[in-house]
Amino acid sequence: MPAAMSAEEDLADVNRVLAGEVQAFEGVVRRWQGPLVNMAWRYCRDRGRAEEMAQEAFLRAWRGLAGWRRESSFSTWLFALAANVFRSELLRFPAVNVPLEDAAEPTGPATQHEGLARKQSDDAVRGAVLALPTRYREPVVLYYFHEMDVAAASRTMGLPEGTVKARLARGRELLRKRFPHLSEQSAPLLSSTLRPEKEVLE
Amino acid sequence: MKSNLNPHTDHGAIDPILGDEGELIPSSGFLAATMERVRDEAAVPKPIPFPWLRALPGIVVVVAIIGWCGCELARVGLANAREISFTQLHLTAATGRALEPAGWVAAALAVSLLSWLFAQRLAGRSGLL
Repeated sequence: MPAAMSAEEDLADVNRVLAGEVQAFEGVVRRWQGPLVNMAWRYCRDRGRAEEMAQEAFLRAWRGLAGWRRESSFSTWLFALAANVFRSELLRFPAVNVPLEDAAEPTGPATQHEGLARKQSDDAVRGAVLALPTRYREPVVLYYFHEMDVAAASRTMGLPEGTVKARLARGRELLRKRFPHLSEQSAPLLSSTLRPEKEVLE
Repeated sequence: MKSNLNPHTDHGAIDPILGDEGELIPSSGFLAATMERVRDEAAVPKPIPFPWLRALPGIVVVVAIIGWCGCELARVGLANAREISFTQLHLTAATGRALEPAGWVAAALAVSLLSWLFAQRLAGRSGLL
């Protein structure tokens, strides 16, 4: 995952690229291809398109490598750049999605094949994220991509943490309204140990 | 992606669903394809920068001329504006009669244009042009 990546390796490769060694960029692509493709996937849920968008992000990173001011880590810079690329790509050609109210209703738990029903239900919720309004969709996408780290998501979006938290809460609220079973399942959890963080996030 | 969720950030059923999606492995050709595009980009010679220093005198002259024209237009326009009175905007019957021939002039010009276009077309077909 991103945190485990070697900052020294990134720095060394970037310096070599800036010195004119094109091949050194391969190290950067090798280390970050997984995270960037996964991030793009969460934006569009289309494997082919996710790879195209990730490739475009790498190309933009290559062009703008000299613009990395090294005040933040390479990963922060790369993720922010990638988020910009994905956002503008999806503005040009939006991901095929349906309005939130038309998102597929998950199959009920009484289905014979419970595992399959569960998977369908989860996929419906994940698909519904794409139907969220843009301002709520991106915080939700990036928060879960960054393993539920609000600070990392806010750095990637270039927004204050408070704004990201508020939009995240609104995004979750919209999802719960669309899929009431999510609220029902969460009720026992919310009443037990989750008070402090819940207050912050909601 | 992450598999063990932090209970303090768990928001019921949403967190396990969106937080634990599994990891997508990039296709085997992704790295090679990306590096090929990067190499192609690196092989393209850098665009020649615009010669700002050489163009600067010309730009200054053009800007000065435009500025001078603007000032002159404003000066002349302001001088004439004082002479204009709103009563002049109402066309008298005499002025209306004077404008009547203008319509005939426009019609004559249109006929001339059409005949010129027709002649061009004929000449084109005959192979003269």
